[in-house]
Amino acid sequence: MFLINCPYCGERDQSEFTAGGEAHIVRPKQPTELSDDQWAEFLFMRKNIKGVQFERWNHAHGCRKWFNIVRDTSNDKIHAIYKMGDKPPIK
Amino acid sequence: MSENLRITNNKFIDQTTRISFKFDGKTLYGFKGDTLASALLANNIHLVGRSFKYHRPRGIMACGTEEPNAIVQVGKDSSMTEPNTRATEIELYEGLEASSQNCWPSVNFDIGAVNNFFSPLIPAAFYYKTFMWPANFWKLYEYFIRKSAGLGKSPTEPDKDIYDNRYLHCDVLVVGGGVSGIMAAKIAAKNNLNTLLIDDKNTLGGTTLFQQNECFKINNSYSNEWIKNEIKTLYSLKNLTIKTRTSLAAYHNYNYLLARENLTDHLDLKERKNKIRQRLWKIRAKKVIIATGAMERPLVFNNNDRPGIILSSSIKKYIDYYGVKCGQKISLFTNNDSAYETAISLNNSGVVVNSVVDIRDKTNSLIVEQAEKLGIKIHWKSTVVNTNGYKKINSIEIMKLSDDGTSVVEKKIKEECDCLGISGGWTPRVHLFTQSGGKLKYREEDNVFLPEKSELDQISIGSCNGDFELNEVIKNSVYSTNKFLNVNNKDYENLEVTSSKEIDKKNIWLLPSDKPFKKTKSFLDFQNDSTANDVKLALREGFKSIEHVKRYTTTGMATDQGKLSNMHALGIVAETAGVKMGELGTTTFRPPYTPLTFGAIVGRNVGEFFDITRNTPIHEWHVEKKAEFENVGQWKRAWYYPINNENMHEAVQRESKAARDSAGILDASTLGKIDIQGTDASEFLNRVYTNAWSKLEIGKCRYGLMLNEDGMVYDDGVTTRLSENHYLMTTTTGGAANVLSKLEDYLQTEWPELDVYLTSVTDHYGTVSICGPNSKKILSKIIPDLDLSDKEFPHMSFKNAFINDIKCRVMRISFTGEHSYEINIQSSYAKSVWEKCFAAGKEFNITPYGTETMHLLRAEKGFIIAGQDTDGTMTPIDLQMDWIISKKKYDFIGKRSLYRSDTVREDRKQLVGLLTDDPNEILEEGAQIVSETNKQPIEMLGHVTSSYFSPNLNKSIALAVVKNGKKLKGQKMFVPMKNKTINVTITDTVFLDKENKRLNA
Amino acid sequence: MLNFNTPIIDTKEYSEIKISKAEPILKINLRGKNRDFITKIGKELSIITPVDPNTSSSNEKLNLLWLSPDEWLLYSNDIVDLKDANFLEDKLFNEISKVKLGSVTNVSDHWIMINLKGAKIFELLSAGCPFNFNNFKNSKGAVTQTLLNHIDVIIHNKNINDLNLFVRRSFSAHLWSWMNDSAKFI
Repeated sequence: MFLINCPYCGERDQSEFTAGGEAHIVRPKQPTELSDDQWAEFLFMRKNIKGVQFERWNHAHGCRKWFNIVRDTSNDKIHAIYKMGDKPPIK
Repeated sequence: MSENLRITNNKFIDQTTRISFKFDGKTLYGFKGDTLASALLANNIHLVGRSFKYHRPRGIMACGTEEPNAIVQVGKDSSMTEPNTRATEIELYEGLEASSQNCWPSVNFDIGAVNNFFSPLIPAAFYYKTFMWPANFWKLYEYFIRKSAGLGKSPTEPDKDIYDNRYLHCDVLVVGGGVSGIMAAKIAAKNNLNTLLIDDKNTLGGTTLFQQNECFKINNSYSNEWIKNEIKTLYSLKNLTIKTRTSLAAYHNYNYLLARENLTDHLDLKERKNKIRQRLWKIRAKKVIIATGAMERPLVFNNNDRPGIILSSSIKKYIDYYGVKCGQKISLFTNNDSAYETAISLNNSGVVVNSVVDIRDKTNSLIVEQAEKLGIKIHWKSTVVNTNGYKKINSIEIMKLSDDGTSVVEKKIKEECDCLGISGGWTPRVHLFTQSGGKLKYREEDNVFLPEKSELDQISIGSCNGDFELNEVIKNSVYSTNKFLNVNNKDYENLEVTSSKEIDKKNIWLLPSDKPFKKTKSFLDFQNDSTANDVKLALREGFKSIEHVKRYTTTGMATDQGKLSNMHALGIVAETAGVKMGELGTTTFRPPYTPLTFGAIVGRNVGEFFDITRNTPIHEWHVEKKAEFENVGQWKRAWYYPINNENMHEAVQRESKAARDSAGILDASTLGKIDIQGTDASEFLNRVYTNAWSKLEIGKCRYGLMLNEDGMVYDDGVTTRLSENHYLMTTTTGGAANVLSKLEDYLQTEWPELDVYLTSVTDHYGTVSICGPNSKKILSKIIPDLDLSDKEFPHMSFKNAFINDIKCRVMRISFTGEHSYEINIQSSYAKSVWEKCFAAGKEFNITPYGTETMHLLRAEKGFIIAGQDTDGTMTPIDLQMDWIISKKKYDFIGKRSLYRSDTVREDRKQLVGLLTDDPNEILEEGAQIVSETNKQPIEMLGHVTSSYFSPNLNKSIALAVVKNGKKLKGQKMFVPMKNKTINVTITDTVFLDKENKRLNA
Repeated sequence: MLNFNTPIIDTKEYSEIKISKAEPILKINLRGKNRDFITKIGKELSIITPVDPNTSSSNEKLNLLWLSPDEWLLYSNDIVDLKDANFLEDKLFNEISKVKLGSVTNVSDHWIMINLKGAKIFELLSAGCPFNFNNFKNSKGAVTQTLLNHIDVIIHNKNINDLNLFVRRSFSAHLWSWMNDSAKFI
């Protein structure tokens, strides 16, 4: 069980949150102009890294806000948390 | 009771309160404060079980959590009995009934013991190797293996005990209430930190509590007296919570820990009623101090498993704490100084100590000198090469060790004894540290694994951190705690500590015997019965990784997780393979540290609280009318309303007919409702639904289909435009929460520029749906001033109205194909409105119907249920709902996916209607559909998604998904069932009123 | 007349725990993002809009709870006459939603408010709630949204050992039953 520091509500138990997959995958503005392959890239292709990963999380049972987390999947250490739209504080 | 095994001047046991208990059916007596193990030993009962594989007699070996042998079944009641409990941890109570496990018919005469004679034939992995062939015989083998091997009996009835869970947040958690833990807790609490101290015993103090020895003094008092005062101060500290009988089960990431508190297991049976038996504490600690101490290792030598062979420190606890002599003539066998503490304690209590067999060369530490002073005989540089006695040890054979320790020399000495204390040094309890992800390092000089690196805010102090001498324990624990907590506590600054220091250390993992190695039985894992031979065999057979050796030999895989055996197994593997212990590493310790009951894990989430239930505001009415309920997500929905012993089919047929013939009433309150406001609300709906919304007039309703980005149908529902920038969206019952969260996701992440606000109002409104040709008449009785003409209030529109001054919204929408209305009113008044409708409809025989009838009625009309007729692989085109996809809109969720090469395939599974040739034959939902019957194998073309007998059409109808179904209309198909094949024809999905005349009837 | 119905009708007392429902009271959900919205609410309700996370503000009649950076819950202290409630809702809707400042939604029956009083109420909460109440306990006016026995709740610290807890109506009977069960074992 992680402790997640919601950027709006502060530190809360993981059970209040839901995970939303990989972060920084932008929905194409003009999907109709994409080839099947390009659309499939957006739709299906996700990284599954052992190591530092950028993820979307939602404080579903709190303020209902989405935000981003930088997490090391090998030890579950959270390196950074930042709001939607913000640039990742680390690379 | 054998009086002569109890010493009378003991301070920890209340020898005035006698307790009777039963072991293996025999009534015995102990005292208040005893454990089952200490009471059995006081009754001179050592033999308490049979070993797992060879069924060798086994006796009590330890005094705490690490006990491998004294595993007993407690309780006789089939709902309360508990297997695999350690006799050393069961506090004696009046009425305790316990029995041996793993022996049949009895512990004294065990048929399985014949395995012992065949033991050369049962090497490591014997079962794997033997019972492999033929494969289908396993069922037979398994029955016999389980019968002879079973570790206790599971209860067969639901557990009657009460369990509980509780969350707890603290600044500092101290695990272990021995000398280090006590000091750490005091330092933390005195510095205003909210501190929790837990210990699995019934009292704090650890082994120091009964350490009354000249060699261990603090400020000139015996260490036991010093610690008693420390404990007294602890109980007066206000920031400190102390929980005894509380065992730490698991240490997870982010300092999340689980601890099990035993609340009633030590009470007399009659005092336990209506009390919580065990409570699982879910602890979040800012900082964790592990002070779990160390456990004594056994020694591995020939026949080291006989009843009466006990860890030396346990013998000391039995005499010093419980006042129980483990024997009258005790021998000790050691490789370190601690057995001398036991020798001195025994001597002081008047027990004969035959001798101490020490594998080391003569050493002169303070404690050894004290023992010599008392005249205790010591065999230096010697080993026990064999023990004798079948059900209880009666003698040992001693020989001198060669200089390199690999063989024995000189004459064999036989020494008679009734108990042998063994000490192979100490293993720090690093289990919790490693559970939390900590990495260990190896210390060569005394062969211990110690905490090295952790990512978490934690430290280990005391002997679990490798400090074994009292003065070092005190000095280092105080220093580390102060540093860790960033405080400067001076309480322990000027302590004067006397401590005997161990000068010489020597370790031999596998002690030699005069017999050839293959003929010896030197046990490593007492509970799983694996020997040094087994481990060596595994290495010979090519296993190299310690994890593989562990699984192959099952060493360390019993309920004790190899607490006593792991170090020796590692040692023997390292020695045999010629690698260093530090490089070999250890196997992984996994939670729980000691077994947890399922009860403690689930707590109160049983029975009524097993799962959450949600009720509609009209729930009470359905209950009064004896409706049967269906679980839809967490909702309890009225399923059907049987009258006069009707079964479900009869009730549904009656309800369905009534709804079409005259009037029906349905509780639709569970539908998800989302209030949408904002200047971009219409644009937002355009983007989330497949159809167009900008032109929807105020006061009108529209059906919408929502897709995932992959183009598959996700949810559906009717949305109403309440005013220019204000909509009310409805979702399916099950999809409500997910839809809201998905829409919020898009608003927050993809389209933050949109001015739209979503608020769930699902629970704010109760929804009463009335349908049927007479629904209009009924509504006009309830809201007389509302113009219900088709012109003023047509299908797919809504009106604000009042029912007796209460605001409501009436939608004229239909999920049944009948003329119908949905009244949405504040939940507090929904039941009252329902009753009013029911009363008003009485003259029209208004009939309440449940979800089953609702499903039937919509199937007659070919309306889909998202989640029943769709399964996440159906596009709107697959559903033959092309009409709902806007061609004009540039984009909406899932649009691009609708013309991926996969989604435009013509041979996708598509929704169709099915009619059975025999109109009375009802298809089974989920049944497969094929085009031929005599070919094998035959391709499954699809399956039935919805199926009912329609009373309005007087025939069976079904919806199905079939490959290329659109083009197969009119084709014959087959539904093969277990006993017959049903002939069906593919049809249109709409079975009733294709022209939608009934909507305006 | 339509009858008023509520899933919870009684008050229960245990050792140092008293739980009771307080209905019908007015509850309105307010959402908006810009400065004007925040000023407008304050003006309309004569209350300071709490902008700090997990806080609230109150006057004699009303309480305004921070739920998220763009969401607040307004509730009345006392039972409100239906006419007054409608009036306030309409007024806010016209002054906020109609003029495109944000949204105003009546949620009076979406939530059921349960009042908890007594020295042991936090023990009761800790039986099913992962939230750390150590600081919350002593901060009057604090607000949190969390889970209690896996059910979403909003908790408002009215006063020392005096909480108002909001639970969605459909869950309320179950949660009430769970709370009574847990209170027995405190």
